[in-house]
Amino acid sequence: MAVVWARLAFLAGIISLFHAGYSAAQHRAYMRITEQEYTSLPTDIGVQGLMSLLLTMYGILHIAGDFKEIRANVQLQNKSWETVGNRPTFYTFAHRGRALSPNYIPPKSKSLLDNIENISS
Amino acid sequence: MASLDLDWEEVREQLRAWREDNTRHSEEVIDMWEYCLKHYKHKLGDERWMVEEQVVVAGLDSYRLDIAEHSLVALNEQFPGSLRVRKLKGMRLEALERFDEAMDVYDSIIRQDETNSTARKRKVAVLRGQGRIADAIKELTEYLKIFMSDGEAWQELCDLYLKEGDYSKAAFCMEELILTNPHNHLYYTRYAEIKYTQGGLDNMEIARSYFCQAAKLNPGNVRALYGLFLSCTQVSSSTKCSAQKKKETQQLATWALKEIADRYSKCRTNAMDGSKILETFGSLSITEKA
Repeated sequence: MAVVWARLAFLAGIISLFHAGYSAAQHRAYMRITEQEYTSLPTDIGVQGLMSLLLTMYGILHIAGDFKEIRANVQLQNKSWETVGNRPTFYTFAHRGRALSPNYIPPKSKSLLDNIENISS
Repeated sequence: MASLDLDWEEVREQLRAWREDNTRHSEEVIDMWEYCLKHYKHKLGDERWMVEEQVVVAGLDSYRLDIAEHSLVALNEQFPGSLRVRKLKGMRLEALERFDEAMDVYDSIIRQDETNSTARKRKVAVLRGQGRIADAIKELTEYLKIFMSDGEAWQELCDLYLKEGDYSKAAFCMEELILTNPHNHLYYTRYAEIKYTQGGLDNMEIARSYFCQAAKLNPGNVRALYGLFLSCTQVSSSTKCSAQKKKETQQLATWALKEIADRYSKCRTNAMDGSKILETFGSLSITEKA
């Protein structure tokens, strides 16, 4: 939901920015036509430009997400060897975890009777 | 995993976090897939194939071959002739302990694409799965001559040397890793532990300095603090150590002890008394068998 508001804010900011720019150009043309001296932009266009800039910046920041830490070691503070030392491309599957699976059939071991029969013969 | 997350979007986020975090949660992935995400797989869009791949590997890891094969068939239909899917087929043969056939599959991938690094790495894993550690080391060193910047491969080589008991070569591998990531406190800790295991005054002093560096980078690394304490006591109790160095080292040891006691007192419960820990530390030592 927050993302929707951020997107709307960004869109509104961009449109308002373009509108302010267009009205500034229009103002310039009007000044030229009525042969008045062009000193500075009217304040309302300037204020609109500034507000739309701030609105766009707010929207972008929320869309882009959190900043990442600059210091490289801060990310690693809470990591243990389990995650950093994990090597997914070298996974082997011949480990004891297999025995916990419901599909596992343990290898048949020699029963006591077999041993006795071997000895007596 | 006790509770069932029935919100499929949360499950998808969790799987994505595990994929990016590089952690091994095979049983949880299988449970989440079986009980939740499998019924929503058509809603996943493009992400579906990455999730299927994750499920295949998790299924092979926890020996749920039926689930793994199901996802493998789906991937094969979507991407026929893909080398990545062929590698997964090879991994399935490995899980079934048909190692020679798996080797053939990986050799065929390498023949088709010389630059494919994952197939070469799987060959090392096959040798390791068979228990042929020496052959695995040879194969991995050949691999590292070609792809020398692969951090994971250096980690694996270090682990294989440790299995063989060849500590000096394992220390060399760890040094390579420290060079690539000089800010990672875990690499320093592991290197220091290898040096500590080798023994002798020089190695002990190196271990002490590397434990110091690890503790400096991350004050929350209790393992480094323990290591620091142990290596300091070893250095100070050695006969070749001068008196002044002995005093400095003992000060360092007491500082490390205090830090550890602080950490424990911070997360103290009623059952655990912080002061007893200082007493038990006095009896903590690893001595050489004469």
